[in-house]
Parts: sequence; C-alpha cells; structure tokens
Amino acid sequence: MIIVNRLVRLLAVLLVVTFLSYVLLNLLPGDPVTQILGLSATEEARTQLRQDLGLDQPLLVRYLGWLGGLVTGDFGESYITRAPVASALAERLPVTLELLVAAQVIALGLAIPVGVAAARRAGRALDQALTAVSFALLSTPVFVLGVLLILVFAVTWQVVPATGWTPLSLDLGWNLTSVILPAITLGCGQLAVYARLLRTDLIATLQEDYITLARARGLSPRRILWRHALRPSAITLITAVGLNLGALIGGTVIIETLFGLPGVGRLIVDSIFSRDYLTVQGGVVLISVGYVAVNFAVDLVYAAVDPRIRRA
Amino acid sequence: MKRWRTPAALVLVAAVVVACSGQRPVATPQGGGSPEATGPVKGGRLVYGLSADANGFNPITDQFAGQSYSMAGTIIETLTSVDADGDWKPYLAESITPNEAHDEWTIKVREGITFSDGIALTGDIVKANLEAQKASPLNAAVLAPVESFELVDPMTVKVDLKQPWVVFPYYLDAQVGMIVPPSSLSDPKAASQKPVGTGPFLFKEYVPDNRMVVTRNPHYWRQGLPYLDEIEFRILPDSQTRAQTLDSGGLDAMGTTRDEDLAKYGGQKDAYTVHRSQGMAVAEYMFMLNTAVPPLDDLRVRRALAYATDRETVISTLRGGLTEPADGPWSKDAKWYAEGGDYPAYDLAKATALVKEVEAEKGPIRFEIISTPDPNTMQGIELAQDMWRKAGIDVSIKQADQADLINRAVTGNFAATVWTAFSSPDPDGEYIWLHQAYARPVGSVSLNFTRLKDKRLSDALDVGRTAPDEAARAKAYATVQERLRDLVPYVFVDHLNTGSVVARTKVHGIGEHVLPDGEKGLPVTGSPIPYHPFYQLWVDPQ
Repeated sequence: MIIVNRLVRLLAVLLVVTFLSYVLLNLLPGDPVTQILGLSATEEARTQLRQDLGLDQPLLVRYLGWLGGLVTGDFGESYITRAPVASALAERLPVTLELLVAAQVIALGLAIPVGVAAARRAGRALDQALTAVSFALLSTPVFVLGVLLILVFAVTWQVVPATGWTPLSLDLGWNLTSVILPAITLGCGQLAVYARLLRTDLIATLQEDYITLARARGLSPRRILWRHALRPSAITLITAVGLNLGALIGGTVIIETLFGLPGVGRLIVDSIFSRDYLTVQGGVVLISVGYVAVNFAVDLVYAAVDPRIRRA
Repeated sequence: MKRWRTPAALVLVAAVVVACSGQRPVATPQGGGSPEATGPVKGGRLVYGLSADANGFNPITDQFAGQSYSMAGTIIETLTSVDADGDWKPYLAESITPNEAHDEWTIKVREGITFSDGIALTGDIVKANLEAQKASPLNAAVLAPVESFELVDPMTVKVDLKQPWVVFPYYLDAQVGMIVPPSSLSDPKAASQKPVGTGPFLFKEYVPDNRMVVTRNPHYWRQGLPYLDEIEFRILPDSQTRAQTLDSGGLDAMGTTRDEDLAKYGGQKDAYTVHRSQGMAVAEYMFMLNTAVPPLDDLRVRRALAYATDRETVISTLRGGLTEPADGPWSKDAKWYAEGGDYPAYDLAKATALVKEVEAEKGPIRFEIISTPDPNTMQGIELAQDMWRKAGIDVSIKQADQADLINRAVTGNFAATVWTAFSSPDPDGEYIWLHQAYARPVGSVSLNFTRLKDKRLSDALDVGRTAPDEAARAKAYATVQERLRDLVPYVFVDHLNTGSVVARTKVHGIGEHVLPDGEKGLPVTGSPIPYHPFYQLWVDPQ
C-alpha cells in the first residue's frame, strides 16, 4: 500500500515538475534554433528547422507530445547532438551516482564519529575545535575547497590526478583516484551539517531518563553512547541525508565542471545554456524519480532505526 | 579498549591513498629546457586540454567551434589550408584554379588519398560533400554565391558561381571544405559521434564532456606522418582547474585565454612554451552598437562613446597590459591592416561636447547594454559604464546568458552589447557581418548585427570579394576600415591576442605546420582559444 501510495505521489511530482520546467525553459529568452545553426544561418533555414523540431507548435502540444513519448520510454532526441536523451543520461548517470554515493559515504563516515565525539565532550576543547572546523567547512564554497584540494593533493603532492574521469568498469584504482577529490569536496559541506545535527540530537538524547537509568545500571559510557543513544539521535540526520540529495545534485554541477567529470549535472546545465529542452526534461525526470525514491528509502530506514516509528 | 583500532585505521587509510596514487598519469615539469633532440621522434602519447566539448563531429550537420576543429581536424581534412603569409594553399586538393572572371573554380583532387574506411578520395566524393554543405542550413548563407557543382572528370570538380568570388578557396579551409566519406554522408548521426576522414589519426573513443581519443593512422597519405601514437583530448571547462591539471602533469598542453596563464607559463620558459595567435587570426574585443535603434542611430552618440572609451585603461585593468588597443577589425601586424579614417581616440572633452550637443536636441542619452553574467565580461562592461557616465551617457547593464544574447543580436533586440569577432584569415570572411545586404530591420533575422547600412562600405566589400587584383582588394579593405572608423558601429577596445596554446617543453611541433607542397602553414589560428594541426607534433621519449 505504501509503495502504491508512493508511486501515485511520484507520478504527481513528475507531472508538476516536468510541466513547470518545460514552461520555465520555454519562457527563457534565447532560441534553440540559433544554438543549433549558429549565427550565419538564414531566416529560411531557421524557419525550416523550427518546423522540423516542432518548435512552431503551441507549448502545451509540445509538452503533451513529449509526455506521450515518455510514457513509452522515449525521452526524445537532443536538439544539439541529435543523440537519444536516454542514452546521454544513461552514459552520465553512473558518474553522478558514484560521486553522490562517495560524497555521502565520506560525509557520513566522518560525521558520525565526529558528532559522537563532540556530543560526548560537549562544551569542552574537542567539541569547540570540531565546531570551529564544522563552521569553517560550512562557510567554504565548494569551488574554493575544490581548487585548494587540487592545489595540495594534485599539484603539490601529486598523489591524485587534478581532473578527469575513469569509469569504474575500466579500472577500480584509477576510478578511485578520479573520484576521491571530487567526493571529498562535495562531501565536506555535508559532513559539517551532519556532524552538527548529530551532535545536537545526541546531547539531547544523553539527557533522557533512560540514559540516566542505563548509567545507573553501570553500563559503560561507550556502550550507552553507541548502542542506546546513537540510534534514536539519528532520525534528524537520516532526514537530512534524504533532503540533502537536492542540494548535493546542485553541488555536483559545480564539482563536475571543476573536475571535468561527465555527469548528469553538467549535462543539464549545459543543456539549459544551449536551450536543449528535451535533454533538460530528461534530466528533470531522472532527478525527480531519484529524489522521491531516496526519500522513500529514508522513510523505510526510519522504521528500521527507531522501533517507535514502526509501531506507530 | 581495542587500542589497535586507531593505528590500524590510519594504516588502512594510508594504504588506500598509496593504492590510489599508484601508477597515476603524472609527471613533474621538466627543468632545464628540452634536450634539443635530433629531430622528430615517432611514438608517444599527448594529453591535450580543451575548454569545451564539440556539438558533434559531422562538418555538414554540426556547428564547429575551435575545439571541434582541434578534435575533428585530426581525422577529417580540408580541401585547402592557409599558409604562414595568410594565403590559401591546396591541401586535399592538388590545385584550385579560377577562370579569368573568377566566377568558376576548378578543384583538382589530389591522387592517392584514401579514407580510413578504405574508400579512395575522388572528385565525386568531393562534389557530394560540397553539395551537402550547400544544402546544409548551417552554411547556406556562406555558400550563397555558389550556383552549382559539376564533376568534370573522376578527379576534378568545377564550381560555378553566381558572381566572381576571388577568395572562394579560403572557405574550403574550414568546415565547408572538410571532406568525409560517402558512409558519413549517408549516416550523418554516426558521423556526428564517430568521425571518419583522410586525416593523420583515427577515431578511437569519445565520451561526451570527458574525452576524445584518436590513434595514429598507419596509412596516412603524407609519408612519415603523424609522429604521435595517440592523442587524448580532455574536456576541462574550468580554466583554473585546467591550468592546475597542466601543473600537476595531467596534461601535456592546453588552450587558454587567461592573462595570468600567459604571464605564469610565459615566465617558465624552461618548462613550458606559449603559442599566441597573431595577425588576422586575432579576434577583436569591442562593444557592438545597434545603429538602427535610438540613441545609437545617431552617429554623434556612437562617436561620443568611442571618445569616452579609454582603451589603455581597459587593457591595463583587465588584460594585465598584454593586448594592443584596437581601432578597427584587424590588428597592425595583420596583412590587411590599413590606416585611415577618423576613429575617435580617447578624449573625454570631445565626448562630453558631443553628448551636450545631442542632449540639447533630443534630451538625455540613455541606453541598455547587454552582458553575459561571467565576472570578466561584467568587469569590462562596468568599466565602460563608468567611462561613459563621465561623458554624461547613462548606461544600464542587463545580464543575459549567451543564448539570449546571441538571439538578441540576431533579431536586433539590443542597443549595445559586448562582442568578439573578426578573426577570419581573409577579410572576405567578414562579408556577411558587415554588408548592407545582410542588414535587416529590427525584429527580423539579420546577419549584419549592427544593422549599419553604408553603401561605400558595402561597395568596398564587393570589390574585395570580386576583384582579382590584390592591390585593388587592399584598397577596398582600407575603405572598409576607414568607414568602420568613421561610422563607429563598433567601439573597438583591443586585439584579443591572449588566446594561446601552452605546452610542456617535451611537446614539439606546435606552430611548425608544413603544408603538403612544402609551404609553411599558419602556426595557430581561431579564437578565442586558437587551434592548430597535430600531425607534426611529437614528444620527447620517456
């Protein structure tokens, strides 16, 4: 039932998002025909191409036509490259997915111990130092952090390449070298957010009665922290992981451009600039489905983490 | 408890870092200059950084920019090329000869050339390519003077023109003259993704927005060429990280337009070489004015803007003093540069006087200038805005992305904008942008974006296109420059010769382009980032 409910919501989200993005794209000044033909094309050539692409049709007709294709799995063809949009997205999706997953792994992998350590020593020197580092990471724009990391690790120490991408299927080692800097750059901002959220919730949890009871029963502080306090304190963190997906996708655009990665974010932004409407629409569908799916998964994780939700 | 965990974790992290860093494709910059080798060495691999991806590699259906020529040019060759003096020379063609009136050109195709798919290059393939180009909406305007193509014999094509066109072969040096095999003509989509040609390299791999890899063509028709085994073009749009990738050894060469790159790499002559575009290949940076809309339809306002523009200040502020001020479409080291005309040099008093004169008749002078939102362009516009304000002209800035800006230029929906143009090897390449026949009213598509209609300017362009005598052409283009200086459809700022190719010293041959018949070719060309051939490049052995 939950799955059916989610699917209905997904369809509604897709309809609203794709329609809005289609309308907004078409409201943008600029003409895809000029982007395709360049400056020296004649008026006749432009008119002909506009007809060939169906751009002379009313907006709603074009949108419904595109939607009809989508139902049959046809995302259309790029105006610029004339390649199928689905293929372009399929080629780039693994890059963005790997970047997102790696960034989340780095962010969560570090945020949990950092958050726990800060909460355990709340108000003391370690907590204050970690708080300062968190704020520093939060206030550093990703492009600045990216350039700095390249400067240190690629230019000065030369332990990883500055830019470029090797697919996972080609070589695991080279793939890791090409993803590590972008993932750290993207993950650092999230790390700070997650660590702060976890710290705050943990401090509150550690003041709960059942924690006092556990202490009274002689359980070790480490056991209390990791076994009894962490799970109920992670709800906000899990919510943030799901909600942050949108922000992370936004961040991948910058990261992919900075590190020369052929990902979905860069494809969508380039397509917006070249008024390649169908490619943008395909990207919007992909992101919408991904966003809804991740937040559905987050709902399932809630129940697994906190039995109170499962029973509710 | 479990005290071994922390050191173990550190060891694990270190192991991962070491594992990740093993066999990475990096090398430290070479010091002490390149060992001057005995000559070109065969073999090796070159990694070359480009600023953007291509829209596709089919010269008939895809719009080509500099990066397209860099990548596709390794595979697909042109009928002609341009030599170091700026004259056209045959390339895939053995000869191209006009009749006396220059309204008919005969292209004789070079014998013994085959495409990499094994098909021999013949006259009918050249004819089919040229016909496809003429039918293509991309090039219909450029090839408008062409009436028809005719196969005279298996290796000869005759081009009939509607009018004399003395520099027709120049156009065969670019996209229009790129020759692809029949398989590419019949399957344009495949040709867009996997180019095939007669060139020195063969297509190996293309990952959009990431890289293109080409390998040596073992059957290349130019004996002994190319030298390199493989080239990887890496697409790195961010100029900062592109430079950092070069620093880290991830690239062997790259294109750039950044002044700081010129200063930085130019100062490390033992580690890097810098090749800048020059002459006719240099584009001009300018403010383009729409002469069909008020207040810029008034010549006095346009001249006031030019008088108020302190080009030296712009150059010292924005370009680190690296460029030369412009007073016309061609730089002083260009073959066709001529003095003459009355281009308004910086003189704030004259600007102010003209503004007051106009204001007395028509009221305050106000207009909007359109800029792309990137910081460098905005800096230039804000500087100009401040200079023009001092003369009493009130200019507001409107930001628009590139697609919007170009659309406004084409349809005339602008008063002024920032523009870069005029880098064709021959002045006739600017014909459609300047001739009054291509100026249409605001709201219609106009290739003459300033919409300036001047008979003397257009007549001179016609003479330049049709007169076989070079002296007559030089005189005509002197008139073109004179009229542009007098009528100020553009406020010229500088010759943008900061476009360059930076290479590590282990890379040899950039700028050493030799044409099939032995003439020295144009070293680098195109703007804003120049491009060049790759067949003659070689790298020091490892």
